[in-house]
Amino acid sequence: MFFDRKSRVFGLLNFAVHGNPYDARRGYGAALAFLVGPGGEIHTALKLIPLGKLTISPYNPDFIADEVAVSYLGDSFTIKGKIDDVSLDLKVPVILPPVTMNQIGLDILSKNQINRGMLGAATEMARVWDKWVELPRLSVVGKIRAQGKEYLVDTTTGYQDHEGGRFDWGTVAGWDTGVLLCDPTSAGEPERVSFLFYRYGPSGASSYGGIIVKTASGVERFFGSEKVTVTKSGEFSGERAYLPGVTRLLYPDYRPRVPATIVFSAVDSSDSLEITFTPRAVCTIVVAGVSDEAETTFNEMCCDAELKATIGGMTYNKLIPCWFESVRPRGRFDDPWL
Amino acid sequence: MALRLRKFLDELLDVLKEDYPKQLSRLIQDANGLTYLQVLDKERAVITVRNRRITITGRAKKKEINVRVYISKSCLFDVLEGKLTLAEAFETGELKVFGSPQTLLRCYAIWERVISLARTSPRFYFLTYELR
Repeated sequence: MFFDRKSRVFGLLNFAVHGNPYDARRGYGAALAFLVGPGGEIHTALKLIPLGKLTISPYNPDFIADEVAVSYLGDSFTIKGKIDDVSLDLKVPVILPPVTMNQIGLDILSKNQINRGMLGAATEMARVWDKWVELPRLSVVGKIRAQGKEYLVDTTTGYQDHEGGRFDWGTVAGWDTGVLLCDPTSAGEPERVSFLFYRYGPSGASSYGGIIVKTASGVERFFGSEKVTVTKSGEFSGERAYLPGVTRLLYPDYRPRVPATIVFSAVDSSDSLEITFTPRAVCTIVVAGVSDEAETTFNEMCCDAELKATIGGMTYNKLIPCWFESVRPRGRFDDPWL
Repeated sequence: MALRLRKFLDELLDVLKEDYPKQLSRLIQDANGLTYLQVLDKERAVITVRNRRITITGRAKKKEINVRVYISKSCLFDVLEGKLTLAEAFETGELKVFGSPQTLLRCYAIWERVISLARTSPRFYFLTYELR
């Protein structure tokens, strides 16, 4: 994910293997692009790749196919090639080292009062996710071409997360996650703001998560679910895209509701936080289960996030670009935002 | 070179037999009695479903055909990739379908089932793209 503040281009690129990676009948590679141009125009592309034409390994982040390749060498990724009609030529050097899910979990558990929700979500995530890791800051430099337009990108606000092992879709009830794509060299911005609210349990009613804020001077705060209020209002009516294309063919009227604004509010002694998310563009991705009829909906959102916060004596009041991902099983739960 | 329509349908049937035998039985059950003419650009194939068997041939007697579907490859892939809705394809005349309303409704349910299956079957998906 990245947002270039000069060219005002947002990009979400996803490279994945679905199904059984050892069985070409039940597994395949997929490369996906969701781009939002400076005028709010959306470009999306999805290309499936046969396993026989894909080089991947759980021990290496490379994803190499004939049409498009992600390769990692010397602390830098290179993304080159085409996903359908989206052409990519990007250098992505890693600025900050990777952080594993265990590191984040242990950090939260060791610095905060442990509660049932925290343990429930941690246990569930440890069971479902195998080798999740995030790269909290990346540089993204290069160019992207889509539908006759060329976008130049040069930013240090890139973010990546990577599941390098197996991931079990079967029992996932969904999550809301995202990252404010902060530039700590810009006055009045923190080093990092990220959030995750994870839903679990047989009916998906159990949920736990929180917001992590890190100041440029290194002060870190975690606002757990018990301290956070989430308010959703209105209905998003801007630019939308649907992937894969057959979603529109199978479900012509499917338009999962997305709020016009989402507000996170939290107070913890002298620290306080309010983030107002306003989606600018939404891409709905419907992922079909490989072994059953379950489907999972991803609402990928390019948002403006208005951050008002006081953390460790620092005060923030700034509009920051943001990636927000809301995931739910399609049609399984009675959720007003499904 | 792109795969020919009849060869595609034969191979598709093999994939269904190997990977989705239960779903194939259900499809045959739903489609029993249909004689379906598919025209893709200038290629023609007739799919006949009778007595739990599917046969794919190049022609059939005119009066036996109860569904006719005409579509171009570019329209087919635009629809599959979400660039064109079915309604738009009908409006522009790039997709033409003839048959009794009752038969067309049956066909629609069958197409829905096949498309759903295609999403979960990489072999089905990649085979379809060999038509391009």
